[in-house]
Amino acid sequence: MRRPTRPARRFTGAVAVLAVAGLTLTACGRDSASEDGGPGQTDAISEGKASGTIEVWAMGTEGEELGDFVKDFESDNPEATVKVTAVPWEAAHDKLSNAIAAGETPDVSLIGTTWMGEFAEAGGLEPTPEGLVDEADFFEGPWGSTVVGDTSYGVPWYVETRVLYYRTDLAEKAGWSEAPQNWDELKQFATDLEKKAGAEYGMHLQPGQTGSWQTVLPFAWSNGASVTNEDGTEYTIDTPEMQEALEYYKSYFDEGLANDGTLDPGELESGFADGKYGAFISGPWHTGLVEDAGVKTDQYAVAPLPGKDSAPGTSFVGGGDLAVFADSDNKENAWKLVQWLSEPDVQSAWYETIGDLPAVKSAWESGELASDEQLQVFGQQLETTVAPPAVPSWEQVAAVIDADVEKAVKGAMPVDEAVKDMQSQAGSIGTGL
Amino acid sequence: MRKQQARAAWILAAPFLVLFLVFTAGPVLASLGMSFTDIKRTDIRTPFAVGFIGFDNYAQLLGDPLFRKVMVNTGLYVVLGVPLTMGLALAVAVMLNRIERLKGLFRVGYYLPVVTSIVAVSVVWKFLLRPEGGLINEALGLVGLPQPEWLDNPDLALPALVVMAAWRNLGSLMIIFLAGLQTIPDEVKEAAQVDGARGWDVFRRITLPMLKPTLLFGAVITSIGYLQFFEEAFVMTKGGPLDATRSVTFFTYDQFGYGNYGLAASASYLLFIAVVVLTYVQFKIFGEKD
Repeated sequence: MRRPTRPARRFTGAVAVLAVAGLTLTACGRDSASEDGGPGQTDAISEGKASGTIEVWAMGTEGEELGDFVKDFESDNPEATVKVTAVPWEAAHDKLSNAIAAGETPDVSLIGTTWMGEFAEAGGLEPTPEGLVDEADFFEGPWGSTVVGDTSYGVPWYVETRVLYYRTDLAEKAGWSEAPQNWDELKQFATDLEKKAGAEYGMHLQPGQTGSWQTVLPFAWSNGASVTNEDGTEYTIDTPEMQEALEYYKSYFDEGLANDGTLDPGELESGFADGKYGAFISGPWHTGLVEDAGVKTDQYAVAPLPGKDSAPGTSFVGGGDLAVFADSDNKENAWKLVQWLSEPDVQSAWYETIGDLPAVKSAWESGELASDEQLQVFGQQLETTVAPPAVPSWEQVAAVIDADVEKAVKGAMPVDEAVKDMQSQAGSIGTGL
Repeated sequence: MRKQQARAAWILAAPFLVLFLVFTAGPVLASLGMSFTDIKRTDIRTPFAVGFIGFDNYAQLLGDPLFRKVMVNTGLYVVLGVPLTMGLALAVAVMLNRIERLKGLFRVGYYLPVVTSIVAVSVVWKFLLRPEGGLINEALGLVGLPQPEWLDNPDLALPALVVMAAWRNLGSLMIIFLAGLQTIPDEVKEAAQVDGARGWDVFRRITLPMLKPTLLFGAVITSIGYLQFFEEAFVMTKGGPLDATRSVTFFTYDQFGYGNYGLAASASYLLFIAVVVLTYVQFKIFGEKD
C-alpha cells in the first residue's frame, strides 16, 4: 500500500473541509413551498392479531401502571410483546423531541394534548389510519386535540376538564340551593358568598400568570370566541366576544370578588377549607386535594361551568393522546394496541385502575362513572369542551395571553388594548403550521 | 528529541482538546450559527433546512417591548445589586479584619448562604416575604410600619430580590476582600497614622487604593453573576408581577421553551455582549491607572 505524501494528505484534508462546507451550504434554506393542508390519513390497518414487540412510553402513573394493564392485550395477542417505559412528566417533552430529532422513537407514546401540534408539524407522528376508530365515539373537544391542520395524528386516551367547585354550606347560608347557571348568576353567587356567607373572596380566579388562559378562555369560548380560524393557520383573538369575556373576568377583581395576589401551592385548598374562598374553577384532581385540606364531602359540590346564558358553558379540556411515531418499524401492531386501549370496556377498566377519565363516551354509561354524582358532572361538562388549538406555537401564544390577562386584571392596560396586544403578538408569532 | 516531546504533548493534551472541541467549541459555534437562522423546534429533523436571516433575530429582539423590559430589569438588578453587595461585603470584611474573637463564627455565618442551594434560599425567602404572616411583615407590623405585598407589587418585587441576592452573595466577596485586606502591610497604615491620618482617612487614602485590584475583581465577577440572574425569579415570582422580575436569562429560557432556538440563541449572544462590554468598562474605570 502506498502512503500518500504529506502535501497530498493536506490537500485531501482541504478538499474534505470544502466539501463538507459546500454540502452544509447547499443544504441550507427552507423548502419554499409547503403543500396546502396536511397529508391525508394513512391506509387502514389489516385485520388479525398483533405481533412483534411494541415499545410504549407513558408518563406519570400511566407509565407505572400500563405495563401490568396490557397483560390482557398480550394474552389476546400471544405473538405480541408490549414493552412499557415510564418517563417522568418533567422530562417527557425533551425526551420525545430528542427522540423525534434522532429518529430513535418508541412505537407508541402518551402525548400531552398541547404538544400534538408541535410533534406532528416536526414530522414525528404518523397520521391515524383510516377506520381505526370512530371519531363519533369520542368527546368532540378531546378529539380536536389530535387534529393538526386537517389530519388526525392519534387517538385521545384520557381527559380532564374544568368545572365549578363551591362550598355548599356557604352557598346555603347565602340563599343558594343550586349552582349558578349563567354569568349574571355566577357574579351574584360570588357576591352573596362574600356578603351573606362571610367568604373573604367569593371566587378564586387566577390573576394572570402561567396557566391563567385555561380559566379565561372558557369564558371566551362560552361567549362564542375562537382563538384560531378553522384550519389553524391564523390567530383570531381580537374579537368583541373575547373582549367581553375578559371584561367580565376582570370585573371580579375590580369588584373585590377575587384576589389579585398570587397563591402559593396549597393556599387555595386551605383557603377553601377555611371559607376564605367560596368557589373556584378547576379539574378533577381537586376533589382529592380539597378533601385532603379538610373539606368534608357534604360541604362542597361541583357543577358544570355557567355559560353566558345557560349552563353548561364551554370548558377547557386537557389530558393525553396516544400517537404512533413516523419512525416506528412496527406501526400496524402499534395501532392495534392503540385501538385496544380505546375500546369502551378497556377504557372503563383503565379508569378503575388509575382513575383517568375515559375519552370514549360509552365508557361513561356503566359502573362508577355512571352512578357517581360528582363524576357525572365531569361527564356532562365533557360534552361541551374545547381543546386549545393544536398548533406548534400555542405555548408561546398562551404565555402572551397570560401576560396580557395579568395586565388587564391589574389595570395596567385597558381590556380592549390587552386583547389587541394578544392578537398583534400572536399574529407576528404565527401558528407555525 | 524535540519532535518527540511535541508529540507527547499533543497526545497528553488530546483528551482535553477533543472534549473541548466537541462539548464547548462545537456548541458555541453552532449556537452562534443558529442565532442567524430562523430555526425552530419543528425543524429538529432537518436542522440545515432553515432560512438564513442575518441579523433579523437581533433586530426583532431589540424591537420587542418585552425584551427591552427584561434588559432594563437586568440592568437595574446589576446597578442596584452590585454596589449593595460590594458595600456590605467590604463593611463586613473590614469589621472581621479588626475583631479578634469569634472571627471564625462570623466568617462561617456570612459564608453559609453562599454554599446553600439557591432554590432552597429562594423558597425560604419567599416565606419571609409573605404579605400575611411573613417574618418581615410581622416585624414591620410590630413597629407600626406599612406591610407591603413584596412579591406581588411590581415596584417592590425586583428590589426585594436584589436584597436577597446581596445577602446571599456577600459571603464570597467578603472572603475575597478579607484576603485583600490582609495583603495591605500594617507598616503603611502605621506610617500614615504617624503622619497624623485618622481612621477614616486611612481607610479612604490607604486601604481603598491598595484594595483596588481586589475590588475590581469583585465587581467583575459579581456583575457577571448578576447579569445572568434567573433562579431567584424562577422560584419566587415566575418573572412576575407584570414581568417586573423577568431577566434576560429568563426570557432566553422561555424562548428555548417555546422552541424558538434561533431567537433564544440571539438573546444569549446579546447578553454575552453585555457581559463583555460591562467587564471592559469596569477594567477601564477601575483598572491600571496608578
